[in-house]
Amino acid sequence: MSDELLRLEGLQVHFPIRGGLLDILLRRTKGVVRAVDGIDLAIRKGEILALVGESGSGKTTTGRVVVKLTRQTGGRVLFDGQDVSNLWGTGTLRPYRRRVQLIFQDPYETLNPKHTVGDFVEEPLEVHGIGTSGEDRRLRVIAALEAAGLRPGADYAARYPHELSGGQRQRVVIAGALVMDPEVIVADEPVSMLDVSIRTELLRLMLDLRRERGLTYLFITHDLSLAWVLADRIAVMYLGKIMEIGPAEGVIRSPRNPYTRALVSVSPSTDPPEPGQATKRVILVGETPDAAHIPAGCRFNPRCPVAFDRCRVEEPPLFDVGGGQQAACWFAEPGAPPMPDPARAAPAFVPPPMVETSVGAAGA
Amino acid sequence: MTIEPVVSRDAAAVRGRRQWPLPRLADPNAPLLVVEDLAIRFRMPSGPSVKAVDGVSFRLDDGEALGIAGESGCGKTTTALSLIKLLPANGRITGGSVSLFGIDLVPKTERQMARYRWREISMVFQGAMNALNPVKRIGDQIAEPVEVRLGQPREASRKRAGDLLELVGIPRQRAAAYPHELSGGMRQRAMIAMALACDPAIVVGDEPTTALDVMVQAQILVLLERLRRDLGLSLVLITHDLSVIAETCDKVMVMYAGRVAEEGPVRRMFVAPRHPYTAKLLSAFPNIHADRRTLSVIPGQPPDLRTPPPGCRFAPRCEHVMAVCTQEVPPEVRFDDGVRVACHLFPPGSPGSLAAGSPLVVATAMPASSVMLGSASWASTSSGPPASGPAS
Repeated sequence: MSDELLRLEGLQVHFPIRGGLLDILLRRTKGVVRAVDGIDLAIRKGEILALVGESGSGKTTTGRVVVKLTRQTGGRVLFDGQDVSNLWGTGTLRPYRRRVQLIFQDPYETLNPKHTVGDFVEEPLEVHGIGTSGEDRRLRVIAALEAAGLRPGADYAARYPHELSGGQRQRVVIAGALVMDPEVIVADEPVSMLDVSIRTELLRLMLDLRRERGLTYLFITHDLSLAWVLADRIAVMYLGKIMEIGPAEGVIRSPRNPYTRALVSVSPSTDPPEPGQATKRVILVGETPDAAHIPAGCRFNPRCPVAFDRCRVEEPPLFDVGGGQQAACWFAEPGAPPMPDPARAAPAFVPPPMVETSVGAAGA
Repeated sequence: MTIEPVVSRDAAAVRGRRQWPLPRLADPNAPLLVVEDLAIRFRMPSGPSVKAVDGVSFRLDDGEALGIAGESGCGKTTTALSLIKLLPANGRITGGSVSLFGIDLVPKTERQMARYRWREISMVFQGAMNALNPVKRIGDQIAEPVEVRLGQPREASRKRAGDLLELVGIPRQRAAAYPHELSGGMRQRAMIAMALACDPAIVVGDEPTTALDVMVQAQILVLLERLRRDLGLSLVLITHDLSVIAETCDKVMVMYAGRVAEEGPVRRMFVAPRHPYTAKLLSAFPNIHADRRTLSVIPGQPPDLRTPPPGCRFAPRCEHVMAVCTQEVPPEVRFDDGVRVACHLFPPGSPGSLAAGSPLVVATAMPASSVMLGSASWASTSSGPPASGPAS
């Protein structure tokens, strides 16, 4: 597609496991953590793509590769039609970094407590040698702060982080990204540390900025409901692979991968449960295996309530299921039988049984 | 309309299955926990002190789960910590009472509190990695309170630690593991096992699932629910996540700037919120099962508690603000459906619903009359036994 801005092709990030000093000296490895294990993604200009997954799914590593903080071990990163996979070193990276900015999760740790807000926002301008004079930079800083909703900008620029609330701090972090006038913002859990009421304001700010500046977002989150609220398209990751990708409406309302279905079913809701509603939820047993020991076949099969023989030996590719949606599941293969209802197929998540505790009722 | 009892559990039965007798001073007929008019101040290095909690009352019955919700700084964690008097050094309870089985804990000394901490009220903290000792095996950490608080021999404590791990779904062999060897979800389970070590009457969870993945969170919530049912536990869950409360609690108390905004049964309040703040909080919650991009925003920030605004503390951010709101503190008004609201939109004696056309009006019809919550009445109207309060 012509308006495609960012493209990942077969992206792989494998981290070697080294046991100790001797292993490091001998360049010997004990195994490999396959954090990102071959993913393809394309983000269009002005689009918000949410990368959703639990801890250990590789979503953050993917984001770090895009902003060039982690080196891929395979595959390519294309930005605006150019291969940027092998750009390394500050000199060659600078033009790219101007256009692709990162927002971290924790606004409390991102800001230096001894620097004013203005210093923080101005620093990237100095590093990149942007602005003709101190005055010019100051005006850019104020404009960025105001764009992030901190008005009057001049007033906020003189403040220190401890004088700000959590929401205001995250706005400062956003201003620090905006001052570079980027095209893509990679936002890694930008609102997870914040109260629900403040989250909404920041999500609105992100939407407003897209409208005003045509920004493109890669929005990384573990919270499917945030992705639902914000994103145009959602990609669900599990153990380094994309399990399902497509328009938000399709992925949430008619998920074709059992993992996505389970995630949707346990997504938090403030509606008090009705009697019998609990049976509709698919609570998976166990936790995500570690990425050094990825199961054979479909990597989700040991926890999948509807897995069958083929899933244990053969990994399904992403099948087109229509409407721009793709799912990696043998039940999504053209001509496959419909997927059994995971909520029924799943052995209901039974918490461990009561055990008789043995401490006698001696006097207190 | 008849009101279902929030918990149809027999308090006598719950107390009958206790492994340990009630504290010596306990009144066996008193409600489990009644907090009345609690006030807590924090001394600051300079300037006026902070009124973190200002006149909070609530009640918790046997086997009941109460959720306390609100934004950061609303006083929910401070309220919870005051139940076992674990406030930071600069914090002090300046008024009110915390009565457990009718025993007021506020005047108790540190030594006297030892009888109640962990044995009657235990706590599950937010960051399991910070709350567990990294250089001690988890089995030993769980056995410690059994040995120290209950004076059990080492062998029996060890055995109980193993039993407790199995109870929360960790194989007992893992008792030999150190905290870093467990995953986040497992650590949180170990924390829960530790909180259960002395068979307490009340477990207080401070954001017990906040740092966990959704799937692990769902597992932990199911576990808590089952423990509550099987062990007859009472839970107090402190969280900013309303969905956790919707899933696990009978009652919810929404706090704002150190005061109670609204309190009542979850099934009523989450379906038909009365206080504008509750309504806002609910509509700001991203819900995958609802339409997209309909989230509402609560403009502004909570007030600075060194100099709280006069009148209703939510008034500066409230869409329905009236002249009276900025001058007078709204009284707490109790409605027939068990909901208690502090809002001038619902003055004492007001019918249960707003005028038509108000955005707060919801389809559900409200009971017609309301009851003023006097200072003499007990803190909440759970209709579960042994409620024999003088309400209405």
